[in-house]
Amino acid sequence: MGNMTEYVKMAFKNIIANKGRSFLTMLGIIIGIASVIMVMSVGDGTADAMNSEVADLGTGQIDVYCSEDASNEGEWITPEDLTAIREQLEGVDGVTPNDGSSGSAVTGKGEFAISLNGGTEDMQKSMNYNMKRGSYFTSADVEEGNRVCVITDTDAKRLFGSDDVVGMDIELNVNGIMGSYRIVGVAQQKENGGFVSYTYEGMPVSLSVPYTSFEHFGWESDSFYSATVFANDKVSGEEVAKDIIHLLETRHRCAGEEYYQIQSFQDMVAELNSMLAIVTTFISCVAAISLIVGGIGVMNIMLVSVTERTREIGIRKSLGAKTSSILMQFLAEAAILTIVGGMIGILLGLLGAVGACSLMSASMGSVIHPGIKASTILGATLFSCGIGVFFGIYPARKAAKLSPIEALRRN
Amino acid sequence: MENLIRVQDMCKIYNPGENEVRALDHVNLEINRGEFVAIIGHSGSGKSTLMNMLGCLDVPTSGTYYLNGKDVSTMKDNQLSEIRNQEIGFIFQGFNLIANLNAMENVELPLIYRGIGKGERHRLAKEALTKVGLSKRMEHKPSEMSGGQQQRVAIARAIAAEPPVILADEPTGNLDSASTKEIMEILKSLHEAGRSVILITHDNDIADQAKRVVRILDGKIVEDYYNENKKF
Ligand SMILES: Nc1ncnc2c1ncn2[C@@H]1O[C@H](COP(=O)(O)OP(=O)(O)OP(=O)(O)O)[C@@H](O)[C@H]1O
Ligand SMILES: [Mg+2]
Repeated sequence: MGNMTEYVKMAFKNIIANKGRSFLTMLGIIIGIASVIMVMSVGDGTADAMNSEVADLGTGQIDVYCSEDASNEGEWITPEDLTAIREQLEGVDGVTPNDGSSGSAVTGKGEFAISLNGGTEDMQKSMNYNMKRGSYFTSADVEEGNRVCVITDTDAKRLFGSDDVVGMDIELNVNGIMGSYRIVGVAQQKENGGFVSYTYEGMPVSLSVPYTSFEHFGWESDSFYSATVFANDKVSGEEVAKDIIHLLETRHRCAGEEYYQIQSFQDMVAELNSMLAIVTTFISCVAAISLIVGGIGVMNIMLVSVTERTREIGIRKSLGAKTSSILMQFLAEAAILTIVGGMIGILLGLLGAVGACSLMSASMGSVIHPGIKASTILGATLFSCGIGVFFGIYPARKAAKLSPIEALRRN
Repeated sequence: MENLIRVQDMCKIYNPGENEVRALDHVNLEINRGEFVAIIGHSGSGKSTLMNMLGCLDVPTSGTYYLNGKDVSTMKDNQLSEIRNQEIGFIFQGFNLIANLNAMENVELPLIYRGIGKGERHRLAKEALTKVGLSKRMEHKPSEMSGGQQQRVAIARAIAAEPPVILADEPTGNLDSASTKEIMEILKSLHEAGRSVILITHDNDIADQAKRVVRILDGKIVEDYYNENKKF
């Protein structure tokens, strides 16, 4: 083995003498490793981004709603229920009914469909918005049923061509009844929300208003189909959810009827996560396939190149090369090809992952960092290089074990 | 003194079984150090087969073979590699040079496998190439040389490590008469320098230049005589 440097030199010479073949072998390794690293990193990065965005948004938010049975029986959620939840339950920061209506408005920019989200001032806790101008409506507004509203800056621009609209009035037509709302605040969408928020062309302008203001249009605001409870992080969401159900069932004397149901944000996160797991599995399959395809490419070229060189092996053996010397030479060749190919593959994979993530970040308005894992890099590299080395020396070993005359006879 | 080569009862059977070929049939042969032997016979008579056995490129089906006092017929693959490297210089009809190595590198190959360091290797290879008249072609690849030149590179490769036995299997089979003459001159000079040379040929003119001629027919040695008047 003292001749190792000689074998490495021979290997280099051969790699350079067979540029095309060496390049193809490396290409297989490069494609295998780079695609796995890229696909896995982008996939993991996207999953992380979705997770953290969702977590940012909705922890501690619990939706309560009435079942079909409850509505058949005429049982709803009442404003008194909401007060009770806010005042009696521990860990509750706020409660809002989810009341809504729709109408239309005519401004200098044309006629717009309007969707009204009625709730209490606590509704701002669920928003993925920061106040840009003015302020949110207050509990006094809710108590007095004031017709005030909060609008997003994008919607303000659609209606008025500017977001400097605090203090302006919007004249609404709801089911033929006119009512004017004064704008008290302009909200701006938070930076990262690419996955969760959505907008589309012709979407109604959405206004957040005190639910009590609907009385102007002739509704009694005394029963709701659903409400949202905001729990703080000192209590577990599950406990609060249980307490809410218990309280409502006590107040409506309907224990065990399952009139009231809960969907907490944690449930949604869990659902989303299981979806993400499916996506990740799919991505891993794609990665595994590209790895295998790259591996097969490497295998083919290695097999062909060694078979092609059986004669060379015969010549070397006839001159006194031992089987082990031949193996060393081919091992050195395979190792050089796979190491160089592997490094290029890792580099391209990382660059590709960073590039793809920044492209996706730009187009979706979410920040995605490539989820680069050492285990991915190591796994992909070991697999590709393993195939390269194995198929580089296994046939060489077979050829080297032939008698020199037999090896020379093969062409 | 021990013979250089002593073959006893050697047989080589290809494809044992139904359509077996008895390429060597109980061959006995002794060759001394410093001899120049021509082996002649018709095509298919078993000359190459015998040569491959003598060169340890293949193993006989039965019989014993002593080379330089060592029983080669029982040796394992690795030991045979060593014998080929140290005792034998083989010259093939088809040259068998490695295409992507230049003349110098081809000649260096057996020296590398012998474990000779770079400087000494260069010196020996240069010396051998000079002996065959190729001191100006050392950087050339085989594809850049004529057949005669390629065969001279192959001879240089065979003699560079100074093995005691030179085996040549129709070394001039692919060459024109001028190149044939050159090659023969080189082989003769090697013999003069004390090497044992065994040469296969089916050309009687060439065989007549050798002092000892062994004729082989259907795997058997049928004639073994000395041209007493010949120098080699
Ligand atoms: N690998 C092999 N498998 C089967 N038969 C073989 C093999 N090699 C040689 N033979 C047979 O053995 C016999 C001797 O062959 P060999 O090559 O030794 O002849 P040769 O005297 O060198 O002929 P030539 O002058 O044509 O080179 C021939 O009949 C040949 O067909
Ligand atoms: Mg022959």
